[in-house]
This record gives sequence, structure tokens and C-alpha cells, in this order.
Amino acid sequence: MEWKSDWGLRLRMGVTMFLLFALYIVFAGVITAYLGGGATMMLLFFGGFSLVQWFFSDKLTLWSMGATEVTQEEYPQLHATISRLSQQADLPKPKVAVVDSQVPNAFATGRSKNHAAVAVTTGIMQTLDEEELEGVLAHELSHIKNRDMAVMTIASFLSTMAFIVVRWGWLFAGGRNRQGGGAPVFVAIAVSIVVWIISFLLIRALSRYREYAADRGAAMISGKPSKLASALLKIDTRIDRVPKEDLRDEAEMNAFFIIPIKAGIVGKLFSTHPSTENRVERLRELERELETA
Amino acid sequence: MGLFDRFRRLFGSQAEADATRDADPDDLFQLTAASVTMTVDLDYEPGDTAGLVFSAMDSTDFQGALRDVEAVLEGSGWSSVHEDDHGYTWAVATRDGFEELVADIYVAADTLADRGYGDRLLAAVFHFEPQSSGQDVYWIYSFRRGSFYPFAPSGPSARDDAREVKLQSVMDEELDVEEDTQYWYPLWPDRRGSHPWE
Repeated sequence: MEWKSDWGLRLRMGVTMFLLFALYIVFAGVITAYLGGGATMMLLFFGGFSLVQWFFSDKLTLWSMGATEVTQEEYPQLHATISRLSQQADLPKPKVAVVDSQVPNAFATGRSKNHAAVAVTTGIMQTLDEEELEGVLAHELSHIKNRDMAVMTIASFLSTMAFIVVRWGWLFAGGRNRQGGGAPVFVAIAVSIVVWIISFLLIRALSRYREYAADRGAAMISGKPSKLASALLKIDTRIDRVPKEDLRDEAEMNAFFIIPIKAGIVGKLFSTHPSTENRVERLRELERELETA
Repeated sequence: MGLFDRFRRLFGSQAEADATRDADPDDLFQLTAASVTMTVDLDYEPGDTAGLVFSAMDSTDFQGALRDVEAVLEGSGWSSVHEDDHGYTWAVATRDGFEELVADIYVAADTLADRGYGDRLLAAVFHFEPQSSGQDVYWIYSFRRGSFYPFAPSGPSARDDAREVKLQSVMDEELDVEEDTQYWYPLWPDRRGSHPWE
């Protein structure tokens, strides 16, 4: 069936990505100007770190979340549902993993469609009925299809780098300064802090847009927008905060913000997921589109 | 991968685009000639029952489209439209001749496509019985990929990979076989322990 494209969403996403990219260029210029050779070392060190993360992201994430891969025999229903949704989405069937936890949650991981995994908690399987779970699984498959893991990893590269400059800069400035005068280092640190905050907010915005896009994808893959909506509402009443996939980001945040900010405009700017209310509203629009097509 | 695909991925609309890409059921007719080769070269007789698999949508109009599919399949032999325990919706038909069977499955697929639900078609499943002893094998047409792939179950959740590769290599000339084995989705029997056409 024919669905309307969401051009507003694409436009916002495009602007966000453009701003991130522009910020990156400026940042790289400033850092090279002020830190010269030191920046290269840092880049190499961090580049290696990123590569490791890139190639092992699926295993790392599964391991850190305590997810174990399950076979067809153990969870035939889950496998069959994921297999069917993968067919509709034109994806190879990802690995299937389960986390033994009461928290109702699901996540997808992997750098590409051939190295992907979908994980669900035992809690979500108890909380949701079959069709609601299908909506959630379709949402995770959309993330795989849209390569969100890769997009977000690349996007957060910048903020991580800025963060490292801040930390490394402090260390450097705290020690004996071989660059003759500490001013350049402090400029670099100041710039990095600003860049880090801006990129952080941009990444958060981008992440929220990707969530909306994945909801749209899920509605089209499962063909049941209202089921995903009711799944979101159910999960929302049981869960206070959805754990984020990029743990590194989470760690950075905790390093800087002792008091977590959840409310008001600041909370909005910092959240990785749009509010359930907004997501449900958009899914209801898709439901209307489905019924009036 | 085209530039357009990259663009869509960047903007997070690849999932939308691929989930709603339309199907082309015309390829199904490749099976008519292929069934002869299956019999002559490999000793497999085509079965008289086949199934069309799709993923249902939660809408009134789609339910109407299903009734249309039921209507076109009725009349010339046994048929049924139902959902299995895995959430697949099946339109199953039994016919006297294989050619007629392929044609009717095509008509069912085309009916759904005409109603604007071509993108909900997943697969068409045709089974072949060994003339001596052994397990049934299946040729499955993937509407999403526009290609065929073999499926040789050797139990409720195990496949006979060697046999599938053999089927692929022998039939490659006559059928557009899916190159990437990652897309050879299995269709296992559901909880009732039988295939939807039994």
C-alpha cells in the first residue's frame, strides 16, 4: 500500500546531520591549529578504540546487556516472528538474543545487516501480547535496516573526541608544559567543551529523529501501527527510562552530570527518545492513514 | 547499492522503502518448466498443493482484500485462507495439475497486488515429493527478493543444507535462484506440528 512520506522528519534530520558535520570540520581545524602533533597521537589512539568498537559492537552490546543468543528450539515463536518480519523488511534474519530481566525492553545492535542481532528481555515477552511484541521487534529491525547503530556511532565520534581533548588537555596542562605557554591548550579545552556540549545536543536530537523513523518503519513492516502504540504505552507505565545502546555515551554523561536532568526544556534537549506521547500520536496518524487509504 | 539507497539510509527511511516495495508475481511461471527438470533429473514429483504466504495488515480494507483472494481461489478445487501460529497468513490451494496450481497461486498473488497490497506478499511455497524414499523438498519464491530458493527440512527445525545446495546448482539454469543464502528464510511448521497445507 502507498504511505505518505514524512518530509518534515527528513528535513529536520538533514539539518541536524549538516550541523554536526559542520561542527566537526570547525573542531578539527581548531584542534589541529592549537594542538598540532599532539592531536594526531590522540586521533590514532582513539581511532583504534573506535575500530574495536565498530567491529565488535554487536558482541560488546550483547555482552554488556547480559544477553545470550537463543536457538530456534528454545524460542520457536520468537524466531518465527523475527524471521517473518525480516522477510517483510527484506533483511537477512538477525541473531536472536534474550536478556533475563524483568525490565520490559528490547534493543538491536550490529554495524550492518549482516552482523545484526535483536535482543528482548524476558520482561517484555511477559508484558506484551504477540502482536505488540511484533511491533517492537519491527521497530528494532527498522533500526538495523536504517543502520542506526553505524549512524549514531559515527555521530558520537565527534563528541567523544571533544571529550577526550578536554580530559587529555587537563592532564597535559596539569603536567609540565612542553609547548611553551599553556594558553593554546586552554583554548583547545574551552573549544572542546563548547563543541562537546553542542554535539551532545545535536546527537540527542538526531537520535530522537531516528526513533521516529524507526517507528514509521515498524508500522509499515508489521502493518499494525496501533499495536506498537499500545506496546509503547504498556512499556512506558513500567519503565522509567529506556537504557541507551551507546554505553560509552552514557558513561560520559555520568562523568559530567551528577544530577540527572529529566524534566523541562533541558530534559527534552537531553533525551535520546521522543516522548511516548508524541510517538503514540504519530503512530495513530499512521493508523488513520491505514484505515482511510 | 545505489546512491538513492544511501540517501534513504542516511535519512532513516530505508526500512519504510523496503517494507513497502511492490512485488512482481510473473516469475512464478518459471516453475512450470522447472518442475519437469525436477522430475526428470532429480526424481522429485511436484505436489498438488501450494501456499501463498503474506503478512497481514491491521486494516478493514486488507480484510476485504483477503475475501477477494478467497473468492478467486474457490471453485476449481480445495482452498483456504488462514493465519498460522507464527503469524504468517496463508492462502492454500490444491489442484489436479501443477500448471493449474501455479496459475491459481499467481492469480491469488495478483489479486492481492491489484488491491494495492503487493508489498505484503512474502512467499509462494511449492512442494516436491521424492519418487523413492526421503523428505519432501520445497521451492519457495520470495516476492520481496524476486527470486527462488530451495528449502529442505530434515526435521522440525533442522535443514538439509547439502540437499539445498544440490537443488540450487541443478536448477540454477531454469529458476532465478537467490544467490545470498542469508535470504533463504525457513518456513517451519507451527505449533500444531503440521504445515499449513496439511
